Amino acid sequence: MGKYVTLKIDGAGIRAPKGSSVLDVAIEYGICIPHLCHVSNLSDIGACRLCIVENIVNGRSKITTSCTLGVQEGMVILSNTERIKKLRRNIAELLVAQAPNSRAIQDVAVRCGVKEVRYPFRNSDCVLCGRCVRVCEEMWQARAIGFVGRGKDRHVDFPFGVRPDFCKKCGSCIDLCPMTITPCDGPMKPGKEYLCGKCESQLSMASGAMEDTCVWCELGKGFRCARYGHQ
Amino acid sequence: MPKVKPRVKSVKDLTELCKRLRSSAKNFKSKLTICGGTGCHASRSQDVIDAVKKELKKRKLEKSVRVRVTGCHGFCEQGPLMILEPGNIFYCGLKPGDAGEIIAETILKGEVIERLLYTDPVTSNKVQTEAEIPFYRAQDRQLLAQNRHVDPCSIEDYIAIGGYSALAKTLTEFSPEKVIKEVKISGLRGRGGGGFPTARKWAECRSAPGEEKYVICNADEGDPGAYMDRSILEGNPHLVIEGMMIGAWAIGARQGYIYVRNEYPLAVKHARIAIQQAREYGLLGDDILGGGFSFDMEICRGGGAFVCGESTALMASLEGKVGEPRPKDVHTVTDGLWHKPTTLNNVETWANVPLIISNGAAWFAGKGTKGSKGTKIFALTGRVKNTGLVEVAMGTPLRTIVFDIGGGAINGRAVKAVQTGGPSGGCLPLDRLDLPVDFDALYDAGSMVGSGGIVVMDEKTCMVDVAKYFLAFLQDESCGKCAPCRLGIDRMLEIVTDITEGRGRPEQIDLLKELADTVASASLCGLGKTSPNPVLSTLRYFPEEYEAHVNEKRCPAGVCRELIEYEIDAEKCNGCGACRRACPHGAIKGKKKEAHVIDSHKCQKCGICLSECKFDSIIVT
Repeated sequence: MGKYVTLKIDGAGIRAPKGSSVLDVAIEYGICIPHLCHVSNLSDIGACRLCIVENIVNGRSKITTSCTLGVQEGMVILSNTERIKKLRRNIAELLVAQAPNSRAIQDVAVRCGVKEVRYPFRNSDCVLCGRCVRVCEEMWQARAIGFVGRGKDRHVDFPFGVRPDFCKKCGSCIDLCPMTITPCDGPMKPGKEYLCGKCESQLSMASGAMEDTCVWCELGKGFRCARYGHQ
Repeated sequence: MPKVKPRVKSVKDLTELCKRLRSSAKNFKSKLTICGGTGCHASRSQDVIDAVKKELKKRKLEKSVRVRVTGCHGFCEQGPLMILEPGNIFYCGLKPGDAGEIIAETILKGEVIERLLYTDPVTSNKVQTEAEIPFYRAQDRQLLAQNRHVDPCSIEDYIAIGGYSALAKTLTEFSPEKVIKEVKISGLRGRGGGGFPTARKWAECRSAPGEEKYVICNADEGDPGAYMDRSILEGNPHLVIEGMMIGAWAIGARQGYIYVRNEYPLAVKHARIAIQQAREYGLLGDDILGGGFSFDMEICRGGGAFVCGESTALMASLEGKVGEPRPKDVHTVTDGLWHKPTTLNNVETWANVPLIISNGAAWFAGKGTKGSKGTKIFALTGRVKNTGLVEVAMGTPLRTIVFDIGGGAINGRAVKAVQTGGPSGGCLPLDRLDLPVDFDALYDAGSMVGSGGIVVMDEKTCMVDVAKYFLAFLQDESCGKCAPCRLGIDRMLEIVTDITEGRGRPEQIDLLKELADTVASASLCGLGKTSPNPVLSTLRYFPEEYEAHVNEKRCPAGVCRELIEYEIDAEKCNGCGACRRACPHGAIKGKKKEAHVIDSHKCQKCGICLSECKFDSIIVT
């Protein structure tokens, strides 16, 4: 008794252990909320904002990220309203415009319903999801990499730009990086980027046939989608 | 032997000290109050102070004339300022050379020097006292009025005007619950920008579980053009300390912090001195005033990141971590500094607390509108005649602030818009100036009270350019943690830059609106959530300017360089050659006493010729 709470996600009554996050619970129950910066067993920072949901408090909707939102008794969560879908699409569009050279991000973008990119592509090689920084700090207690700079200049780097001795070269940062999986047709050249949308799983979702359902994409395995993390 | 400061051990000690200080103040025949706030300091008030002191020493008047260097008086435009007592004579625009005359004429003979008085711009009459000046007349100065009577480096001055009596009243007559109830009745709302009811914050923090609790004063004011928190902390630090002590008593905290920007050296210095003095007097430490309440505080200097004004980022910075906000799904009143319940309030909010306790909640609630009570300090800047700090009752129309107090736009131009609330606020057009300054009314109009900056813009301001300026500021100051704020502001700036440089496409305006909505809804912290306001409010009230930029590739205000051309009106030009000599690019040609011509290929549109021409013959098209 007292270890579980009941809440509703998209109308489904769900019994969840206290202390877990809404995103974890949703994934557990097969409600696929798109996410990028979340990795199971690491802390959540709410950086990518893709996992936003509507949290209905006293009849008023509050938009917040589900990864940082702890479950509470009687909570009402809507993860797939028109408003959320629109916001999520816009965020995914911003991300894919920034880093089109990642199959993971291309996949997420199509999954979120991005049909066109209205901004000039930038072909950057990092979206600052912070997966690498957190795995280094939390899993290996190494803190060999961290965020440097603010705003536009923020980037991931070694302390003072030099690889320290305490970096164990474990490669976890590379493992978790969404940028390491290139699009099917290979890396896009600067100035020639496009929205890919080629994978079967992506196409099936883009056409609307299986919209809003997680298809357990193979990509997720390599990318360590939180869903596989539970296995 | 160094003089040992008397320790104030009980409320009786405090009242006696106050009486003693007041009677010793009568030993001085006259008092000279000189503003040493940052505004006047910039107009060289230190030189005036030195000259006055030297002159007094020369005439051996140091014992009978007291020179008091105080914090900001508000009318920074006219600085350096001086007030002479008796008579309350108000001198402005002083020079070090005036010192001798002031002492010889006014102090010794009691004669007023006409030349140094303020001239009413409407009637051209000389005005002798502060109260008669239109700038001060329309104000309701509760917090700022004290600045005049207090040397910020002297706790004695503060005690003499009744300082720390609100604390004494709290400790003897009020239970913590009663303090919170009193603040609740007063209707005080946070002055830092959010406008959250202070009493509710305190009550939540009090009921939060945990022995250790903290109070923090947010003095990380970073809005361009805003300096009210700075002026209070510089001019009257003890008021803030007293407010924090009352708040700490109410929520059950024993430790407080003042988080102040390192770019405010005077505020840091004065706050540090004030804390030291309060400790010496026993007003900070264990068993304050014999009431069994122990409290101490420290100063923490911020590194100048705008985002550290955001509560969670500020606390991270205070803990010694990177100043980045964290998700606020659990509020800081239960999980704040070092994961302990924490109450964070703005400087001005804390400063209001002692006034509420001494004057009563009803007094405070008697001022203002239904939803917003009390007075609010605004920093009036921009293209306005009387720049300075303005304190008005909530509910005062913006028009009163801009025209009656501010005196309208400079150079006789028309006011076009007023930007309130700093980078996160919005621009309101002239026909919205009848709006009262009220948290809810301004929010509904797409702007906000914010921390209290008011920037006045005249007809020579391009609103798209204004949006671009604020976006550039926010892009610089965004911490970069969350995607919508970091990428969204960047893309909005990209679009607005395209528009100002003539590459704008009509569909970009819709994209801008959609993007603004996304950034506002999905960002992590307050900075991101409010960052699209400058864009949204200019799009809402000045759509025609965006359309002119996009469709006609024209900047109506003549600001955006890529869209304007400088020409010389041949009929008005008399060939004086001033523009030709001034042009750094050699773009102007013409013979003496003949109309000149601008070579548009060489012209860099710097605008120097425009300011050099005395015959209005340079046209911007």
